[in-house]
Amino acid sequence: MISKSKIFEVYEDKARNKLFTVNLTPGKKVYEEPLVTQNNIEYREWDPYSSKLAALIANKCQNIFIRKNDFVLYLGSSTGTTVSHVSDIVGKDGFVFAVDLAPRVMRDLIFNLEARKNTAPILESANHINELMERISIVDVIYQDIAQKNQVDIFLKNISAFLKKDGYALLAVKARSIDVTRKPKQIFNEVREQLENEVTIVDYRTLEPYQKDHAMFAVKKK
Amino acid sequence: MPSKFIFTNILGSYVFTENYKAVEEILFKDIGQFKEKGIYEDKLRQKHGNLAKPEDNDLHNILLFFKNRKYFPGFLKKNLELTKNSIKESVNNDLFIVQAAGAIGEIDKTLNLLTKRLREWYSLYNPEASDKIRDHEKFSSLIAKKSKKQLLDEFDIDEKDSIGSDLKEKDISAILSLAAQINSLYALRAHYENYLKELEKETCPNLAAILGVAMAAKLIEHTGSLKRLAEMPASTLQVLGAEKALFRHMRNKKNRPPKFGLIHEHQLIQKSKREMYGKVARALADKASIAARVDYFKGKFIGDKLKKELIEKFKIEY
Repeated sequence: MISKSKIFEVYEDKARNKLFTVNLTPGKKVYEEPLVTQNNIEYREWDPYSSKLAALIANKCQNIFIRKNDFVLYLGSSTGTTVSHVSDIVGKDGFVFAVDLAPRVMRDLIFNLEARKNTAPILESANHINELMERISIVDVIYQDIAQKNQVDIFLKNISAFLKKDGYALLAVKARSIDVTRKPKQIFNEVREQLENEVTIVDYRTLEPYQKDHAMFAVKKK
Repeated sequence: MPSKFIFTNILGSYVFTENYKAVEEILFKDIGQFKEKGIYEDKLRQKHGNLAKPEDNDLHNILLFFKNRKYFPGFLKKNLELTKNSIKESVNNDLFIVQAAGAIGEIDKTLNLLTKRLREWYSLYNPEASDKIRDHEKFSSLIAKKSKKQLLDEFDIDEKDSIGSDLKEKDISAILSLAAQINSLYALRAHYENYLKELEKETCPNLAAILGVAMAAKLIEHTGSLKRLAEMPASTLQVLGAEKALFRHMRNKKNRPPKFGLIHEHQLIQKSKREMYGKVARALADKASIAARVDYFKGKFIGDKLKKELIEKFKIEY
């Protein structure tokens, strides 16, 4: 039985412990996710093991800050697994700018998400603010999941350039891509310090057991 | 006097007032116009005179102007078009090298597997051949060409002494059709090797001169592109392919660091003394790194010079 969860636009099946979003393009799968229909509404299952945002929800976060009709800047879209669910959440009146710099994954993303009219694929490095500026507008929420050593710098740069005032942003930190030799906890603490200088941290959670050595920060623009 | 701003994005070229209202716009019909945006910006400049480039705070407000549902379709269409274009243009020789090198690696794996099966199978009929011919390629081509009797004659074995059993014609032909497929795989492999050689003559002649065609291809395959290889420090190039050992070392310094990764198979290292391995690997990686950089920036051919320096240094021919 699928019912509303605590998070807006996200649904859950408490008995089976599964998360769902409403399929924006009924009948179409994006990756190999199961589709479930209930009361003529089609839901797409959202697996916390393959999506960090779902892992955050599964770890009982209070809010993911992405709402219906929002404009979202998604940095590090990869093949579009999580992007498709973000696109479900914002709905047909919201908009997602999906940014990635690898042509190979962007090719898959285009095939996966072309049917959704609310997602614009952008092949560009998240680090190139000036090039991005010509392709996007100010957004309500930024979600970043890129495995770069300077991911926090990139995050802050994008927040100051593209996030609206008092907007929220989510940062998935992969400890291993910052430094493999040190303990993840230590790295997360450093990231926290770096973030605190420029933004207000509103939530911090590790994504165990779904994603190893990952943490998610939610921040608010000052 | 407060000035007006000029701002161009993929939708068009705009003139904004100091209150961030668009007073004039030239909308782009396609990406071609966006790529020649200078022309349209000049047009607006001529008409409006002094137009300022927006600074940080102004930019924020101008970008806020585009945060409007009516620009959705434009953003979607133009971004899709531009991204599709860039994907099309992203194909280059590096990717061909990566794919061809990957294909050769997989053909090798397949060949090993199939030839083992062929040897087992054919040995029911003629075990002496599998014992005498050690080389896989030779084995499969010889048994396809010659009969059991011809082969045994070559080894000076009387057909009566053979411990293989006499098989029916259809059983033999089943075995030989596998041999034929294996032979054609060897031909395919040779074709790809040639193709790689041609590619590398264009893309990375220096790297190929120092490391050899196959190893240069493997390094590019491992890093994904010549650009990334050229940006790497030589010490990273040295241990490419030995990441597991390297990270084991970095996590716990009790474990010794690897001396080499993919370049281990290079003749210069193979022919040198064991205690020299580290030194040779380092020197080789240095030269390979120089070569990769020269190749990436399309410099002159200096591969033979670098190779000569290596040979003179270690007194090992390769």
